[in-house]
Amino acid sequence: MSEIGAVALRLALLLALAGFGAGIYAGRSRREDWTRVAERSVGVVFALVTCAIATLFWCFANHDYQLVYVSAHSARSMPLHYRLAALWGGQAGSLLLWLWMLSAYSAAAVWAHRGRVRRLAPWVCAALLANAIFFLVILVGISDPFEKLPPGHVASDGAGLNPLLQHPVMMIHPLMLYTGLTGFSIPFAFAFAALATGELGTTWFRTTRRWTLFPWMFLSIGIMLGGRWAYEVLGWGGYWAWDPVENASFMPWLPATAYLHSVMIQEKRDMLKAWNLLLIGLTYTLCLFGTFLTRSGVVQSVHSFAQTPLFTSVFLGYVLVTAGVFLGALWYRRAGIRSENQLESMVSREASFLLNNWVFIAILVMIFTGTLWPVFTEAVLGNRQAVGAPWFNMFAKLLAPVLLLLTGVGPLIAWRRASLANLRRQFVWPVACGLLTALGLAIAFRGGITFYAYVAWSLSAFVIGTITQEYVRAVRARTRKGGENSLQALAALLRKNQQRYGGYIVHLGVVFILIGITGAVLNEERLENVKPGGSFSIGDKRLDYLTARALPAQHYGGAVARLALYRGDEPLAVMAPEKRMYWLEQQPASIPSVYSTLHEDLYVILTAIEHDGSATFKVYRNPLVNWIWIGGVVFVLGTLAVMWPHPERR
Amino acid sequence: MSKGFQVAAGATLIALLLGWYAATNLEEGASFAYYQTLEEFVGSPDASSGHHARVHGYVSIGSIERDVAARSVRFAVQNQPPHAGGSATGTLPVLLASLETPDMFKEGAEVVIEGRLSQDPAGARFHADKVFAKCPSKFEGQAAGAPSDLPAKNS
Repeated sequence: MSEIGAVALRLALLLALAGFGAGIYAGRSRREDWTRVAERSVGVVFALVTCAIATLFWCFANHDYQLVYVSAHSARSMPLHYRLAALWGGQAGSLLLWLWMLSAYSAAAVWAHRGRVRRLAPWVCAALLANAIFFLVILVGISDPFEKLPPGHVASDGAGLNPLLQHPVMMIHPLMLYTGLTGFSIPFAFAFAALATGELGTTWFRTTRRWTLFPWMFLSIGIMLGGRWAYEVLGWGGYWAWDPVENASFMPWLPATAYLHSVMIQEKRDMLKAWNLLLIGLTYTLCLFGTFLTRSGVVQSVHSFAQTPLFTSVFLGYVLVTAGVFLGALWYRRAGIRSENQLESMVSREASFLLNNWVFIAILVMIFTGTLWPVFTEAVLGNRQAVGAPWFNMFAKLLAPVLLLLTGVGPLIAWRRASLANLRRQFVWPVACGLLTALGLAIAFRGGITFYAYVAWSLSAFVIGTITQEYVRAVRARTRKGGENSLQALAALLRKNQQRYGGYIVHLGVVFILIGITGAVLNEERLENVKPGGSFSIGDKRLDYLTARALPAQHYGGAVARLALYRGDEPLAVMAPEKRMYWLEQQPASIPSVYSTLHEDLYVILTAIEHDGSATFKVYRNPLVNWIWIGGVVFVLGTLAVMWPHPERR
Repeated sequence: MSKGFQVAAGATLIALLLGWYAATNLEEGASFAYYQTLEEFVGSPDASSGHHARVHGYVSIGSIERDVAARSVRFAVQNQPPHAGGSATGTLPVLLASLETPDMFKEGAEVVIEGRLSQDPAGARFHADKVFAKCPSKFEGQAAGAPSDLPAKNS
């Protein structure tokens, strides 16, 4: 059965090569018939890769332990859904998933724009197929998911999947992330086609607006789900540790977000043509580079897989070639992408957007440097040094408030040049909002929180004030004209100017997320050793340790402790943190128990059951952490509002 | 002044400011962490002077004692993984003044201990503030517990 997949991949490679050639030829000769050949190749490659990935799923479902990959990443004791999710539990499978998504996007984009953008089409096909070719070469030659074990080595059961990955979130988190990362291939291909043809007007980015927002949204969801998974599974009380793989997923998000803002300047003022192209190139290169980072083991990480020199050099070569070709094309067209307009004033929306771009890029540089520090130091000093979370936190603490401030300021300043009257009219209420919050916080905490939290939360209030003011004024303007009540007016706003008013919802989500992250300044953690019947308190709550008992034997065993949670005399919940041992994988895992409210999370880990019958618990009180997830939901709803297709706006 | 020059000057200024910010905010050793192997550590000045250090080793078989009353864990680390048939000579006794040990911390586990060596009445002992552990590399896609479980290696 697995032969079908192997053959499909090899055929796909041939087809992709042919289609790539056809695309280049069609692009140069402007022949419509060859363009169609290239477009059809994209479709056929997609069909073949679908066949390959379906085969691999089938092998996982049916315990085909002849395959090296299947036997290394699944076992009979795993339920079907985790066996299927094991497909992206290792290197070869996750690269196949990458390729499948890339080819699915390619086919969808080609189909959606069939009969249109005729000059760009062949180059789009060529760029997309070139990427597919690379992954096919890796999958056929270096990291083959259909490789078989030598006869005599085939076992009746597999080695199992890393137990930490056997979690519902882990079934979707990689899918979301990959939907994001691979999706940027479409704007990248269009940008490349624009450079190749010299059609550098607005076509390429207008065509790809939704193709950019869609992966951007999924990348955001993927990043947030990764944090959620870390919080629920890794049992260390946090959601983000600046681990290389987290950074790898965050890095492309930064230029992508910068691009979503700066492209508006190009739309409104016809500026920054080169910059926007550069940002898209950078985004996609970082998508590839992030995949390389997590799949190569260059930087040690939770997720990094076995390091093979061939894989490393081929993949890194591919990333560099992609970036090099794109930059080359950009250089070649440098005359055509000069801006017609100049920045007129530093007090204008353009300027605030530009500053926002600089901040995004600064954050990117900081993360890039920190993540690759071990690689740099090894190359230069000969010994590997790593920078820890303090490095990243230090810069994030500096730059996040700047970004927050710009989130509030940007929408208030006029395009081109803001007048003093404009500033006064726009800023009074939001600034009052921020100042009142600062005052309220000062009274409520009486110096109990850091200066940083004051600043961050006051700025958050300022941004929320801005957003509210924008909505209230617009709704009022519509209702005053008559014929609409407030709700209808709100709906009309989101429909007629979805980019602007949807964007504000996204901003609101970001503000919630930052409020939640800043809650960490109030975090409290404790290590408690108690005997059954004993109790301890944290914050305004008390935990009574009741009992511990053995977990019913499954593919893991271990112990579960039961604690009763009270506030005063009011019982709130029974908490049951677990200490698991996954037999087959010989790996322990602590599963935390979390009592979650809007106000704070109480997060309990069973560290150990001691010999004397007592239990050691690690307890975290994480204020406001829930606002991160709430913000995430708002963020996604906002993005949907921006993207939602309206027939009249096509 | 050309536009390119202005942009370059602005970028340089920002880079300098950020660099200055980094230099003034980073404590020595807090962020730029690397570790020594046990072998390197034993002969190093860090060992004799009691400087703060990060040391890599393997937990000796049968050495873990959890002392609930004293809220501490005692164990020993050695140079070679015990399963690999390496001898257990030259072990270093470690005292962790907490009951908080990572999931992967067990006999034979690969660990990095952070703290300083001091002369106790019973002889030299490593007083660890933190222990990071890693499970033996069994899987291609293996995880090391919490993301920060094992700092990058000083090869």
